[in-house]
Amino acid sequence: MKSLRSLFTHIRRHPAAMVGVILLALQIVAIVFAPLLSTHSPTEADPISSLQPPSFEHWLGTDVSGMDIYSRIIYATRINLLISISAVALAFVLGVPIGLLIGYYRGFVSSLIMRLFDFIQSFPVFVLGMALVSVMGQEIWNVAIVLAVLFTPMFARLIRAEVLSLRERPFISAARCSGATDASIMFRHILPNALTPAIVQVSISIGMAILLTAGLSFIGAGVRMPTPEWGLMVSSGAQQMILGVWWVSLFPGLAIVISVLCFALLGDAAKELSDPTTRTRR
Amino acid sequence: MTLQSFWRGLPRPLRIVITRLPLIVPQMFGVMLVTFLLVRLLPGDPTLLMLGNTATPESIAALREKLGLDRTVWEQFVAYVGNVLQGDLGVSLFTSNPVTVDLMERAPATLELITYAMILTVIVGVTLAVVSVVRKGGIVDNFSRIYGLAAGAIPDFWVGLLLIFFLFYIAGIVPAPFGRIDAFVTAPPAVTGFYTIDSLIAGDWAAFQSSAGRLLLPVLTLAIVNAGALMKMTKTTFEDIYRSDFIRHQRASGLPGRAIIRSALRNSLPPIITLVGFLFGFLLGAAVLVETIFAWGGLGQYAVQAVINSDYPALQGFVLVAAGFILIVYLIVDILYELADPRIKV
Amino acid sequence: MNPRDPKALLKVDKLTVSFGDNTVLDDVSFTLRRDEVLGIVGETGAGKSVLARALIDLLPEGGKIVSGDVALDGTSILSMNPKQKRELRGGQIALIGTNAKALLDPVEKVGTQVARVLRAHQGGSRGATWKAAVDLFAKVGIVDPERRAHAYPHELSGGMAQRVVIAMALIAHPQVVLADDATLGLDATIQVQVLDLLVRRCRELGLGAVIITHDLGVVANYCDRIAIMREGRIVELKPAGLFLKQPEEPYSGVLLDAARARPTPRGAADASAAKPKTLLQVDKLEKFFTVGGSNKVVRAVDGVSFSVGSGETLALVGESGSGKTTVGQCLVRLLDPGGGRVLFDGNDITTLPEREFRPIRRRIQMVFQEPYVALNPRWPVESLIGEPLALIPKTSGAARAKRVRELLDMVRLPARIADYYPHQLTAGEQKRVGIARALATSPDFVVFDEPTTALDIRVRAQIIDLVRDLQRDMGLSALFITHDLNSVRSLAHYVAVMRHGKIVEHGETETIFARPAEDYTKALLAAELPIEQSEAQRTRALDRHSVEPSLT
Repeated sequence: MKSLRSLFTHIRRHPAAMVGVILLALQIVAIVFAPLLSTHSPTEADPISSLQPPSFEHWLGTDVSGMDIYSRIIYATRINLLISISAVALAFVLGVPIGLLIGYYRGFVSSLIMRLFDFIQSFPVFVLGMALVSVMGQEIWNVAIVLAVLFTPMFARLIRAEVLSLRERPFISAARCSGATDASIMFRHILPNALTPAIVQVSISIGMAILLTAGLSFIGAGVRMPTPEWGLMVSSGAQQMILGVWWVSLFPGLAIVISVLCFALLGDAAKELSDPTTRTRR
Repeated sequence: MTLQSFWRGLPRPLRIVITRLPLIVPQMFGVMLVTFLLVRLLPGDPTLLMLGNTATPESIAALREKLGLDRTVWEQFVAYVGNVLQGDLGVSLFTSNPVTVDLMERAPATLELITYAMILTVIVGVTLAVVSVVRKGGIVDNFSRIYGLAAGAIPDFWVGLLLIFFLFYIAGIVPAPFGRIDAFVTAPPAVTGFYTIDSLIAGDWAAFQSSAGRLLLPVLTLAIVNAGALMKMTKTTFEDIYRSDFIRHQRASGLPGRAIIRSALRNSLPPIITLVGFLFGFLLGAAVLVETIFAWGGLGQYAVQAVINSDYPALQGFVLVAAGFILIVYLIVDILYELADPRIKV
Repeated sequence: MNPRDPKALLKVDKLTVSFGDNTVLDDVSFTLRRDEVLGIVGETGAGKSVLARALIDLLPEGGKIVSGDVALDGTSILSMNPKQKRELRGGQIALIGTNAKALLDPVEKVGTQVARVLRAHQGGSRGATWKAAVDLFAKVGIVDPERRAHAYPHELSGGMAQRVVIAMALIAHPQVVLADDATLGLDATIQVQVLDLLVRRCRELGLGAVIITHDLGVVANYCDRIAIMREGRIVELKPAGLFLKQPEEPYSGVLLDAARARPTPRGAADASAAKPKTLLQVDKLEKFFTVGGSNKVVRAVDGVSFSVGSGETLALVGESGSGKTTVGQCLVRLLDPGGGRVLFDGNDITTLPEREFRPIRRRIQMVFQEPYVALNPRWPVESLIGEPLALIPKTSGAARAKRVRELLDMVRLPARIADYYPHQLTAGEQKRVGIARALATSPDFVVFDEPTTALDIRVRAQIIDLVRDLQRDMGLSALFITHDLNSVRSLAHYVAVMRHGKIVEHGETETIFARPAEDYTKALLAAELPIEQSEAQRTRALDRHSVEPSLT
């Protein structure tokens, strides 16, 4: 309870964290109440009203096939966040234990896994993601799985680096002297301390995942039409931008910016909050 | 012992290069394994996917044999490595050219784009970082804070589209986003492959103007997004160093401000070098998106076509070249890093 | 010039500095004459370092000189323009800080760094300034100066780096040298060499020097006048001899008292009636390390033997790198010894598997050196102190909480501390928590690793008193690992002097201090800077040369 209260006081004191929380709340509302908030079907084409500028009927205009941009943006929140959050969650669940184990037990297998991660990370993320999705088939879940594969080494390495530096710290020796077992040292002493950067990274990674998903869809290597997805929507207006038809690409792009910004702000807030020295002062 | 003393006698830069260079071999081998497995990952029969609806039993059998799918995985891999080493990356299903030829043709366009974007990114990113640390709380510092946050959240393809809308459609001050050079201007004879440099070599002012103008928007797009990230990371490094004890001691010793900044920058150099290396990877990925928007005709656009047309040999070739390029960049980065930091033992 | 004091070189007049609403320096006034060494002593938070930085108007971020003035040779420093201020720093007033290695640019040759300072103040070509730097290196006792000038800071030892920083301070011929805890963290023998050198150079050049430190021994031995700082004020300022004899302020008296050694504890001689039973016996202990990939072997512990009887305390004394901490870690099985035996209450604990050693752990505990880093930052004190209780089977939650209260009381901490996190505690409190934790299981034997290092004078004395009481009340046997000879006098019955992994001398505390047999022991004792020394000792920097050059 004490920590919950300190969370609130922290958020109240930091306007940036406040903005992040509000933006997150907005997205959650959009996800839960999409059918109520939307004015049109997100996937129904209406060739008669193609490329309408924003109006009372279509708040943010329509795209080439006459779909309502506002409604699509609302519904796309579900797709984009579903992909990103599940990808990061999967990467976290896989990466943290791997990182903990290869950091704590050093040996041939650990260094082999590390080499493999080094190697995966030496590929340009976007290029590898694009190739993998296109090979596996352009499905929502495949995008999420590919992103998870790309992010797992990041979490594992982060945790491993923390574990490596933590295990040399005197308080671990002190705990050992106090009779702490391996399991107790790993889970009660090292893990809580090592988790901090990984938790900050979760938020940042969700933002990265949103950008990557949108980018993949933008070049046609992500989800397919008519699924409402922000990157795909920006892409559908790309050809018209040069003709001055701005609304098709502008609004979904703004949605991406807001969403990624939200997770970046939350990440910053998490970083400050998770440091015990900033959380409680005497 | 004599070998050891001979080794110690070599100049440090040479020792660094000699220890680093052989590492590229196993890494390159790994890259080939990944690109090989990439196509093996294809669900179902790759021949069917490649040939699509037009497949006949004969053509399938022919392609199977051509791809060596009737042999074991191991034999296929050995054959693949053999081909790659001879520069044979297969034939593109879409352009019907050898992939190697296609890639070679398009590589200079992408390289030119990335190079200029990199230069601009480093200049903007590092300058903003240094100024905002030295003049903490000043205008530049506050601007860079907002910029850093925003640049991390803005998709590069969207920036490109906005630039086109504002600078081309509304303001009309930049050329249309259609390729590297005006359709009415002939490209300069290839020397370096960079239109801007080749046109200067040829003394072709019109070609230079046109190609430089066409570079403006895509380079700006890449730099706007990536300079923010570079600035944020450089700022963290530089700030730590600029507030460190030895810099404070230099100030207490009465060294002039310029000398202090130079010294702090010199100390930030190793991490900045690493960041620039990573940046190449980002830029290569971003180039895929940006080239599509600006019809750049480079490797990125080729890769996108390959994805859309399920042109797997082309995609495989592109991934191989991209990863190989990044490996070489990382190698250079590692060498420069060790050169820049005398604390690293070789 | 000040008419009252024609020789005043630096005059600080009612200087007040604040950080926001927090006044850090409060109405500080003093003068420094040419050819004078002034010592300023204070505990953590007294404002010493801020004072040093205020003198060159280079306060840390957020600090502001609210009122008062600093004048050098009659010229107010605060009214100088930025260019004059830059010329003043390093040119007129040079600052030598703590931890020399961190003060040097890690990617630049040290010779260049010193030359750079000269060039910034007096110009000159690269060649000429380099040569001047190398010449000065020789004068500050750097052997083989030409070669050392080409070294990078990471290639130098701490003492050598400190000499480079001294050269950096002297190169532009300043009039005033400020040494802000300049020898903190150096070994005692190196500290004496560096201080000897610094004070001798200042005297030769007729400079004014301010030595700022938390160590009364340093000022008592090197300074002409001594100022005591407390909470941003100078509470007392007197000639050194007078101060040591008759401190006026009660606070000064407390400090001096705290810095003096306590009388030797009940020596073995007193209790000689019955030789106590041997609790711990170490027999030809060995521990070698290989250095990073190469096949060079460091013999950290090389055939060490000693024994400790129940109720006795043995001090293991030596400088950094002597292997004393490694011995301690072998005893509590943080390291596996490479050879030899450790018998605890008759059992050989070196060969026991961890599972069988566990029951013994509760009987042999360790107090760690740096109190803050030895406590998990995410655990409250209650859990930290309670952790070892898991070694005692069937301890209920209530019993545990009760025991934690008892322990807090035993180390004289209030019960409310139980809910605090380590970063909320002062260094002294952290140290006490570390001791409480080691005592939780009522062990028979405790290894104290540097229990008094890096503590303020009064806190250090309190910890020594606490340990003395524990020795008395609990009949504790202890191994005391330290380089602080003063605390050894107060706490140990026996002393073993370690050097390069070997015990060079071993005996009763009083005997060793009174009649050391080995040269190394003599050098160590000579490097001690006690405040009990007579007036004659204070000018040591002038007539005495280095202790033993080979020690560097």
